[in-house]
Amino acid sequence: MACFVQIAAAFLVSISIATSAVVAGDDLAKPTGTNSTGTSASDAQQIRFFENKIRPLLAEHCYECHGADAQESELRVDRLDSMLQGGLAGPALVPGKPSSSLLVTAVGYRDNTLQMPPDYRLSQQQINDLQTWVSQGAHHPASDSISSVRSSSEVDYQQGREHWSFRPVQTPQPPTVNFSQAAGPQSSDSPLSAALVANPIDAFVAQRLESKGLQRSPPAEKRVLLRRVTFDLTGLPPTASEIDDFLQDSSEAAFETVVDRLLASSAYGERWGRHWLDVARYADSNGLDENVAHGNAWRYRDYVIDAFNQDKPYDQFIVEQLAGDLLDSGDDFQLRHQRLIATGFLVLGPKVLAEKDETKMEMDIIDEQIDTVGRSILGLTLGCARCHTHKFDPVSHSDYYGLAGIFKSTQTMDSYATVAKWHENYVETPAESVAFEQHSAALKAKQQQIDQLVAEATEKLSSEFRDLKLDQRESHFDDSTKQTLDHQRSELKALQDSVPERPSAMGVQEGQVTDVPIHLRGSHLTLGELVPRSFPKVLVSAQPPSIANDESGRLQFARWLTDGKHPLTARVMVNRIWHGHFGRGLVSTVDNFGIQGTPPTHPLLLDWLASRFVSDGWSVKAMHRLILMSHTYQQNSQFNAEAHQRDPNNQLYWRFNLQRLDAEAIRDGILAVSGRLDRTSGGKTLELENRSYVFNHTSEDKSTYASTRRSIYVPIIRNHLFDMFRLFDYNDASVLTGNRPTSTIATQALFLMNSPFVVQQSEQLAKRLLERHSNSRERLVDLFQTVYGRLPTPQEAQLAQQFVEDVPTNNASSDASDANPRVNDSVDDHLLRAWQMLCQAHITSSEFLYIR
Amino acid sequence: MHLSRRQLLQNSSLGFGSLALASLLSDPSAQASGPGQSNPPPHFPARAKRVLFLFMKGGPSHMDTFDYKPQLQKDDGKPLPFEKPRVQFAPTSDLLGSPWKFQRHGESGIAVSELFPNVAQCVDDLCILNSLHGSNPAHGGACMKIHTGSDVFVRPSMGAWVSYGLGTENQNLPAFLTICPTLAHGGTKNWGASFLPANHAGVPLGNASQSSEQARVRYMQSALLGRRQQRGLLDHLQQMNTSFLDTTGPNAELEARIESFELAFRMQTEMPEALELGQETQQTQRAYGLDQKPTADFGRQCLMARRFLERGVRFVQVTHSNSEVQWDQHGNLKKGHEQNAAEVDKPIAGLLRDLKSRGLLDETLVLWGGEFGRTPTCQGAGRNGRDHNPEGFTMWMAGAGVKTGIQYGATDEYGYYAVENKMHVHDLHATLLHLMGIDHTRLTYPYAGRDFRLTDVAGTVASEILA
Repeated sequence: MACFVQIAAAFLVSISIATSAVVAGDDLAKPTGTNSTGTSASDAQQIRFFENKIRPLLAEHCYECHGADAQESELRVDRLDSMLQGGLAGPALVPGKPSSSLLVTAVGYRDNTLQMPPDYRLSQQQINDLQTWVSQGAHHPASDSISSVRSSSEVDYQQGREHWSFRPVQTPQPPTVNFSQAAGPQSSDSPLSAALVANPIDAFVAQRLESKGLQRSPPAEKRVLLRRVTFDLTGLPPTASEIDDFLQDSSEAAFETVVDRLLASSAYGERWGRHWLDVARYADSNGLDENVAHGNAWRYRDYVIDAFNQDKPYDQFIVEQLAGDLLDSGDDFQLRHQRLIATGFLVLGPKVLAEKDETKMEMDIIDEQIDTVGRSILGLTLGCARCHTHKFDPVSHSDYYGLAGIFKSTQTMDSYATVAKWHENYVETPAESVAFEQHSAALKAKQQQIDQLVAEATEKLSSEFRDLKLDQRESHFDDSTKQTLDHQRSELKALQDSVPERPSAMGVQEGQVTDVPIHLRGSHLTLGELVPRSFPKVLVSAQPPSIANDESGRLQFARWLTDGKHPLTARVMVNRIWHGHFGRGLVSTVDNFGIQGTPPTHPLLLDWLASRFVSDGWSVKAMHRLILMSHTYQQNSQFNAEAHQRDPNNQLYWRFNLQRLDAEAIRDGILAVSGRLDRTSGGKTLELENRSYVFNHTSEDKSTYASTRRSIYVPIIRNHLFDMFRLFDYNDASVLTGNRPTSTIATQALFLMNSPFVVQQSEQLAKRLLERHSNSRERLVDLFQTVYGRLPTPQEAQLAQQFVEDVPTNNASSDASDANPRVNDSVDDHLLRAWQMLCQAHITSSEFLYIR
Repeated sequence: MHLSRRQLLQNSSLGFGSLALASLLSDPSAQASGPGQSNPPPHFPARAKRVLFLFMKGGPSHMDTFDYKPQLQKDDGKPLPFEKPRVQFAPTSDLLGSPWKFQRHGESGIAVSELFPNVAQCVDDLCILNSLHGSNPAHGGACMKIHTGSDVFVRPSMGAWVSYGLGTENQNLPAFLTICPTLAHGGTKNWGASFLPANHAGVPLGNASQSSEQARVRYMQSALLGRRQQRGLLDHLQQMNTSFLDTTGPNAELEARIESFELAFRMQTEMPEALELGQETQQTQRAYGLDQKPTADFGRQCLMARRFLERGVRFVQVTHSNSEVQWDQHGNLKKGHEQNAAEVDKPIAGLLRDLKSRGLLDETLVLWGGEFGRTPTCQGAGRNGRDHNPEGFTMWMAGAGVKTGIQYGATDEYGYYAVENKMHVHDLHATLLHLMGIDHTRLTYPYAGRDFRLTDVAGTVASEILA
């Protein structure tokens, strides 16, 4: 991955060497940045070599851009300390290690993008001299006077561990606050019970609010709260009967009952599983260059939905996705299949499948895996360390290649030849497996039968025919043999045509175990030191887990992430859950907990939640319950000028934030209110064979989005997303996104005004209203209740009524600007049209598109 | 009960835009966009206000068009006397001379092949870049490289960066339009916004498998409602939206939502008007080749592009591609390139002349080229094909801010590698942004923990070509 460093026509840029990875073994090696051990005769000779050969060379070819007057990329090579320290990218010189010294790499012209001097190549003799000088220890007159130079690629892990998110998770005591005051005025409509005030979340939040002289808002009205929590947990609006039930339940546990009902519904997994699919950059096609179908990705999608619905403990969820193939599932083939399917997480990324440089492709795929695992589970941008030590976080170049070894030792791809093929694991039942084997055996037997028949018949032929080619020989067989042969062959053909499908799923398995050398500048053409498979050092406490020689280390990595002591895993996930409920995380940069991330608004609360998450057995549903039962979640979203002035971005949660529905909730919500939502769950929905092209060289669009199933089942075609999704900020599906933006753009309005989808669904809704009720009043009550979850005010009812009556007919239209009046409505049609338009106004209005 | 917009404004307890703008200023991550949003200023005075990219999908052969190689003609059939690249798309054999004749044109005397007789007449207006090079020999990677600067990751496209950097000049049209783009080889990525705010994504009109006659922005027209009906619907909607805003209290996003419907309504008028090619004179239509079958489709794209540029669209791309990979002559070079060139030559020349005569060329940067060039060595047994070549190829610019009647950079004597004044795709992007008044190192967007640029960590402005 690229970096900040800027390459101009500059010398020695954007490469760094992780000196911490330098291992002993090279006699001539000297630790970077330390002085030589004294002057001897041979040293003097070495220094003469420098003065005679090297200094003149540097002066003539390099000083102009990297000397006293100019330091392009902040590098100068007229001083030893500057070379050791390096420029923006890292040290130019590692004494004794030419392969790790950028100076040598650059003049060697081995790397297409790092060639110095930029306009010409030095002579081979000059290159050799430089190489010799570096191999022999880079003796320099200043060697003795330099005490210690810290190269720009060294990482101070000790200091790095001081960053808030790398420190161990604490279990703080909830503060004691005056709840009666902090709770704000209680509304008579309040669904809250007095007991709930004791929710520790409220204590943490109230403490911060009090410190700013603020208090939280009163509880939201029951109807508002029900609409909020129903969309939040299921991505669907509440039905009329659900509203009635909640309104009529005056018990203290009324809201808890609602939460439990929603968490138990299958719609919950379809909503929250989708949040995880954003993080897993899930898609049903590869995208990038060769957009071929991920024909079996749906199995991973269903696995995720099931995991959420079953409240699979998060630690188990993570281990399965990283190393499910390595878990012992005993004889339980279903469990084993689930775990194999889970590893699809590592394979789903977009890949340049026609990359002709196969080594590069492999490293690009590994990089995509590291980036995804880093940001999704750890909240760390590990990918930044591919080319050089991380510019901000204490993650070194060698930390990256330590992880790269783990993924390189994992088999993700079966073939790198164009078009490359990702790995899939078979997930067949024992019966399917037996059926396949039996079929294969039958095929083989049939073939043998035919071969034998031919052999016997050939025996019987006179010698002149025996050596003929088979098709010529056959004409000399006797008739009955010919007949039998025909018959046998047609049976063989039938068998060949009926090979049972072997269910398979994208996933990984252990590959050839190997370590990976540091790639200078991230390029496989310039390799540095070999790095043993390992985990990022800044996160490793005293005893790093050991990885056996014959293991990739994936399982150890997964266990280490989920041992309950890891500083990031639980924090990152509870923050994602919080983000899902409030529209913003306690750490707003949900995918980045590094130095460049935003610090938490409520650090103690975050830690308390993280620690509670682990002690509750990593239960995601328990975490939902905890958060949803807080006053903080249940307060209303009313504007308050004074609070707004003190905390304009509502960082302290003095109210609930208004949130726009995401793309899926808009689509599913519209289908739900029109009555057309197909609630079938799971299964393959992509109508393309595995690995077939969605788009090849042609631009013919083979994607169809006519389905009325829930959005999570709509195929995700990379490079050609369903345009309704794309318009409403669906994630890119190629890159992990834990925090979708919310845009408000005119093309969304065009979709809401003119798309066949919106028009058709509003017409469906209108038809239902017209069929169900005989008068406008009832229709309007139904419309408001269905779409907004509330009743119309008398004024609203009157305006809506007036609108329906006033809708001009097209045939009566005298509007000259109507170049092409569309439909000549009959009276009935006109009524339907008027109600369709009213329904369209409702399902495209802010009150429908936002929850408050 | 049709409320006028004025009435709506008065009925709202808040003026449109005021709060939205205030909030946007205090919160740069806010995504709301509306007319209240002012355009960011350029980093320095711009030479060009707008860009038109004429994209030749598939990889036109530079040795057969704008990069004349006499030595290649002499050594036709001989082996390439130096090494081929480490990574190639497909194997090639010996050198293949160009089947087309070259002739010098204009005062500049630049040699152009007979494939482009009309563009050759405009050669004094061109700034020919003979030393382009990229990094990927496959269509997908190379297309993404030329459009987004990255052949590995999903990154914002150059049009999106320009829109993000400079905003729009016409509030009723998108800042970035792409006409008949190819859906293959990166597809939407090639005009996408990636992590930039969504309003900077290119808006496609049709796609490469459709005729440009059908090229429309989706959802631009109601199939059902007349304009008056729709206004009535909108008025009712806006009234509800306004009262919802009153309920919630001031909210920038809800205000922007209300304004977005008004903008959409105006776009519905502006966009079809821009596409009314019938408003052009017969003479203009003929100049773009609309009267001839081979040139009509691409000519229409070019004419649409001019009309959009005229209306202040910041970045327009037209794509020459049928539903296949148009310029991709691994075999059948002679017929294929002749047909391709015949389809675009006249429309492009017509476009350049038209832009010039209207004074638009002074503020528009035109860029022509494909995702890579082709090899001087021969592919296939028939000695009539060339493979992909990202190591050296030609693009040209015309218009605002560039020296004209020049050739910049050079490939080797056969046209395989860029050797002189090499211009990497990043350098092209840096130069393009520079011409638009943008310092490519300062046009950044924070994402995933760091600041990203169109030019990644590279890019040098080719200052020698600046006028």
